[in-house]
Amino acid sequence: MELKKEPKVTKQLWYLTIKNFKSMIRELSQLIWIFGYPLVFILLMRFAYGLETYNIFAPGIIILAPIVLISQLAGHFADEKESGTLQRLITTPVSRQTILLSGLFSQLIVAAIQIVIMLLLTFLFGASFHPNANIFLLFFIPFLVAFTSLGFGLLLASFVKTASSAGGLAWFIILPLQFLGGLLTVPIIGFIPTSLAAEAMGAVMIYGSTAFVPVGLNLIWIAVWGVGLTVLGILLFQRKTAIL
Amino acid sequence: METAIETQNLKKYFGDIHAVDGIDLKIPKGSLFGVLGPNGAGKTTTIRMLSTILHPTSGDAKVLGFDITKEASEIKRRIGLCPQELVIYPRLTARENIHLIAQMHGMAKKDYKERTDDLLGKMNLLDRANSLVKGFSGGMKRRVNVLMAVVHEPELLFFDEPTAGLDPQSRRVVWDFIRDFQERECTIILTTHNMEEADDLSDELVIIDHGKIITQGTPDELKGKLGEGDILEFKIEEIDQRDEIINRAKTLDFVRWGKPVGKHRIVLNALDGLRRVSEIMDVVKVKMEDISVRKNTLEDVFIDLTGRRLRD
Repeated sequence: MELKKEPKVTKQLWYLTIKNFKSMIRELSQLIWIFGYPLVFILLMRFAYGLETYNIFAPGIIILAPIVLISQLAGHFADEKESGTLQRLITTPVSRQTILLSGLFSQLIVAAIQIVIMLLLTFLFGASFHPNANIFLLFFIPFLVAFTSLGFGLLLASFVKTASSAGGLAWFIILPLQFLGGLLTVPIIGFIPTSLAAEAMGAVMIYGSTAFVPVGLNLIWIAVWGVGLTVLGILLFQRKTAIL
Repeated sequence: METAIETQNLKKYFGDIHAVDGIDLKIPKGSLFGVLGPNGAGKTTTIRMLSTILHPTSGDAKVLGFDITKEASEIKRRIGLCPQELVIYPRLTARENIHLIAQMHGMAKKDYKERTDDLLGKMNLLDRANSLVKGFSGGMKRRVNVLMAVVHEPELLFFDEPTAGLDPQSRRVVWDFIRDFQERECTIILTTHNMEEADDLSDELVIIDHGKIITQGTPDELKGKLGEGDILEFKIEEIDQRDEIINRAKTLDFVRWGKPVGKHRIVLNALDGLRRVSEIMDVVKVKMEDISVRKNTLEDVFIDLTGRRLRD
């Protein structure tokens, strides 16, 4: 039999990303979770607390959206481990790194869509945006939080064995990030990705700022969190799924 | 003859459990080689080592000339694995599941599209090709599971219990498919605890138990070792008299051997057994709940070697 050409990593990455994305959008419960959870807070803040409170917390609500990706990514890889599909892929000429990156990329695509929808909904429900608010930064700040969330998700995926346990344990990361970061209250810890992002988002959205402090500097620190967590997550995940 | 797989003293231990305990195999290229044994015998662990999913605890193994620990990437490009479990993506269609494996192997789009449709047709799945697999019956999912292993036309295929849980009709479809695949110079390793499957499909087979090979040969050779008699199987009430009943039966010159199986059954090998059942019953003098007479099977080979049934 004729041996086929060495498969290209970029093509494998593309096909796996598409596969992950299709699997995600075809599951109604996942769509409800990704878009429904932040939407609940928009509606709650806008109609239960009134426009004034809503305007104060709107930047935090937008940051809230990509945090749900922690459970999404952890659940995705836990599901791959639990169902055996990860092992099935490993018997083909695809590397673990490619599989991992495809998981991250597909979640980043979801994050991009999610952030755009959240920005539109926040605006449509009456949040006031500063006339000089930089649109790129309004998108990029939550997107960077999404990247950091995926790092947390990857770490969690290294430890959990089932998708259901990933979903449950993710709350132990999501809730502290949400409350300690001051997304819906006053920030308690200033040096975690959510508090850094909420501060930067507020500065851009409410005051139209593009200053290095707090926007640029906070973005650098969020990126440091993201890179650190992702590298650690990749190393741990590869170790935990290595052949024995 | 070229060798597809060669192992020397291959072992895999999980703590105190000796899942595979020193297996030596030499499997020729192009053959359909059966690995028969009860659940937990070490069949799947052996397959997982040979398909590079697991590292052996010790021993050597070469697959298609490549070392399983040092040259795993070369092996992965040349093999296909159909796992025992249904390992498919439920929220992809049948076609998408099969395409994905072809894409991971770097097949050209035109080639894998044509081949996927051809394979789906052979497995009677073409009309459901674009349906999500989560809505499929167990039999249909298992057929997709098989197709994902073969789409890239591997040189060596591992089928790990490919028909487990299938209805007889679907089992026949899979068997015909495996036979068809063998005709394309592909080496096939088939693990099963279904004696009929092993007997019907294998050119040669090993029977393994507790991680060790207990016998090896063609199905006819193995059955031939038991002699040419028929197999008579009795169900009895008197458990404590089993040995005595067997000894009484052995006094008849046409009874070649006898063994207890489980608590309530006795198996005898008797020449011309069907016509001489009444003579045996006269001699053993015991109340029998039921009796069956059949030709030798691989299960009888296993009973002869271990005193247990394959499914015990």
